[in-house]
Amino acid sequence: MATRREFIQQSSLLGFGTTVPAFLGRTAFAAPTAEKLGAKDTILIVVQLTGGNDGLNTVIPFKNTEYYKLRPNIAIAKDAGKKLTDEIALHPAMGELASLYTDQAALCVVQGVGYPNPSQSHFRSMDIWNAGSTEETLTEGWLGKSLKAKSLPSFHIASGNETAPLALNGAPARVPSITSLEDFQLKMASSSGADKKAQKGVIVDVASSGRQASVPMKTGTPTSPPSLLDFVSRTQMNTYASSDKLASIGKNYQPKVTYPSSGLANRLKLAAQLIDAGIGARIFYVSIDGFDTHAGQGSAAGAHANLLQQVSDGIAAFYRDLAERGHKDRLCVMTFSEFGRRAGENGSKGTDHGSGAPMFLVGGKVKSGILGEQPSLTKLEAGNLIHHTDFRRVYAAVLENWLGIDSKPVLGDAFEPLDVFAKLK
Amino acid sequence: MIDPKTAWAPYTPSAENPWDLRKAGHLFRRAAFGATATELQDAVAAGHEKTLDRIINGNPESADFTATSDFMASERSMPAGTETNRLAAWWLDRMLKTAHPLREKLSLFWHNHFATSNSKVLNARYMLGQYRPIHQHSLGSFRELLIAMGTDPAMLIWLDTTQSVKGKPNENYARELMELFSLGVGHYTETDIREAAKAFTGYEIKDGKGILNESQHDTSKKRVFGQSGNFQGQDIARLCLAQSACPRFLVRKLFAFFISEAEMPSEELLEPLSQFYREVEFDTGKLVSRMLRSNLFFSPNVYRARIKSPVEFAAGIVRGLDGRVGALPLAESLAELGQVLFAPPSVKGWDGGPAWLNAQTLLFRNNLALALTSTEDTRFSTRCDPAALLARHARRSDAEIVDFLLDLFVQGDVPDASRTKLLDYLARAKQTNYPAYWAENDVVQHRMRAVTHLVLTLPEFELC
Repeated sequence: MATRREFIQQSSLLGFGTTVPAFLGRTAFAAPTAEKLGAKDTILIVVQLTGGNDGLNTVIPFKNTEYYKLRPNIAIAKDAGKKLTDEIALHPAMGELASLYTDQAALCVVQGVGYPNPSQSHFRSMDIWNAGSTEETLTEGWLGKSLKAKSLPSFHIASGNETAPLALNGAPARVPSITSLEDFQLKMASSSGADKKAQKGVIVDVASSGRQASVPMKTGTPTSPPSLLDFVSRTQMNTYASSDKLASIGKNYQPKVTYPSSGLANRLKLAAQLIDAGIGARIFYVSIDGFDTHAGQGSAAGAHANLLQQVSDGIAAFYRDLAERGHKDRLCVMTFSEFGRRAGENGSKGTDHGSGAPMFLVGGKVKSGILGEQPSLTKLEAGNLIHHTDFRRVYAAVLENWLGIDSKPVLGDAFEPLDVFAKLK
Repeated sequence: MIDPKTAWAPYTPSAENPWDLRKAGHLFRRAAFGATATELQDAVAAGHEKTLDRIINGNPESADFTATSDFMASERSMPAGTETNRLAAWWLDRMLKTAHPLREKLSLFWHNHFATSNSKVLNARYMLGQYRPIHQHSLGSFRELLIAMGTDPAMLIWLDTTQSVKGKPNENYARELMELFSLGVGHYTETDIREAAKAFTGYEIKDGKGILNESQHDTSKKRVFGQSGNFQGQDIARLCLAQSACPRFLVRKLFAFFISEAEMPSEELLEPLSQFYREVEFDTGKLVSRMLRSNLFFSPNVYRARIKSPVEFAAGIVRGLDGRVGALPLAESLAELGQVLFAPPSVKGWDGGPAWLNAQTLLFRNNLALALTSTEDTRFSTRCDPAALLARHARRSDAEIVDFLLDLFVQGDVPDASRTKLLDYLARAKQTNYPAYWAENDVVQHRMRAVTHLVLTLPEFELC
């Protein structure tokens, strides 16, 4: 059977049509308002929780006695959580996110999300979520495909050791990954401005001549498969053009709120800076890893709590920062993880791979509330929660009602958009 | 397009497909960590058979290399709490200096295969302890290696086996053993995993070694792949090895590592190798030798059909420039490029291929190449010195300089236009107004470094 890796590699080589990144050809979008759904300047920020977030200890059915039976060691005590309703609380470490719900009405919790015949392989399941498809071979991402339909300037804000997600694969121009503005520069050992210009000219020119080299140069010469060299060339040209553009953005961003010191918060802060710079950026992708809590995940405190706190504090700071700048109604932050975890804890005070888990949407125009029932804790499938909402219904809502993109060609089927956005006047 | 019958037969040079500088460069990129100018010239002169023998068999390590490396890895010099970058630097130093680069290269392959990260293990002794069986079996028995990983302390921590006890099995290791280490998705069921997990209960670390604590081990009958028995961990590994999917899975992965990431090989093409791997009882050295000596390995189809990993990219520069750089700053730089040795991003290892290159990592690559060639960068001191290298090889005219560098790093195989651009730069750089306090030699050094950096930004240099 073909692995995802090989197919990605193949498809990566095919999918890069134009050379210039989308945002370079566009002017800034001035007005920070979203007058109607799918308006022209809405922004999507996808937050990927890598490793399989334990949904049941994130959104907690704190009145359900079954919950405490399933999790004698790691359950969150009845009154410890941040209550959203009479039945449902967020993990105690998620006070910030809970306050977006109670004070700002800017948090939508979607319960019981998954897909049929869930895979419990991290990598297969992550591919499915990234691709928005359960087909056997997955080569393109749901956002990459969307960018074919609508050219929206996009960024992957990466941590050091992180590659671009499958979700962005298949875009007509490669979505740039950025770790920081300072590092997003081409450096040279130049003795003068003219020398620098000359060197830069060579770097850019040899990048483009790589593309012409797809024609065999000399007979009898081994030539590389043209697509791979072409891929490198395009990535280079793309990058050099992007770095010129971003060089014009001021380095000293002054956030309106204090961001916590975490990798995720730093990435969100960079996204906020790019949003505020007015270069028209519309889609951002960030990840936080570490949710594969097989052992010793903790309860109200501990490893899982620390991760949830980073998510909650990071997203809340990002929301408040941009809200102060007048962008809150343009924002939609969406979190997901490749799967939830087993309903019952394991013998290592952790949880094994499961299915069916909640998603969060945050923004000034999301329909604040809890959508869908908590999946049953008694009717399980091989110990796993049974999902009732297909994740592609959330994607469909984001595509159709937020970004204004026809979801059917992207998702391969018609999924009814879930009602996650507030009706506008 | 590729005939499976002839693909794996030994390569013989012909008029259309001669043994030349390009093929030597190809071999050194894939089976080693790049080459020096002298190594390339020697390889061309020695012919393909001798060169392949040298690369595959390697030379014995010098007493000095072994003593130094072992000392650096001793508990005194690297206690358990040693940070990951120092571990990575220790290995990079081996890669750059070893007399048998293929063995380190395969070790890197297996490290990526059994991808274990010190970010969770948090114990340099265990990480080095895992490197040992990997290095020992890298060109030896995959069977031994797979079984050894089941009781390897770093692995026991990494995939939570130490937390898995009778009645409360943890599925993590059993799943990845099947999904990532031996069979691949689709060749086992969820029931196989849950049953196999019972066989991995009761393992713990005692005095730095992985052992089975019988009192915590589930001795009940388990049913895996249709077979029943009171299995222990090593039995599950053997059951995996007996599956027909196992050699296929490994061969496919080695194909991507050594031969091509640019296309998906057909089952038909790989089947002869899978059968061979089983026949030689998972002797990886024999398999790799057959792959490297093959027609397909030296065919145009697979030339430059990989993207260099950060380690390959950086080591290729340092080796090409006859450089002596501090391994620690080099290891730290590789983190920016997306590859921290002993800390792969997940148990799946690095995605590799085009995933290595995104806008940010590409800029980091260019900027690392600059740092390695520049005296102005304080990290690496002046021990990569292009001007000195060119002088040693008596290259003086602009054309000699450009051709030497192009031969060294891309075996001259670039479009004529790229060569012309480099020559133009050197010509222009003579006209530039340099600071008044620069001596003539400063200008020469500057031009050599700048043009070397430009060569290292060629798209062709990103390919392996």
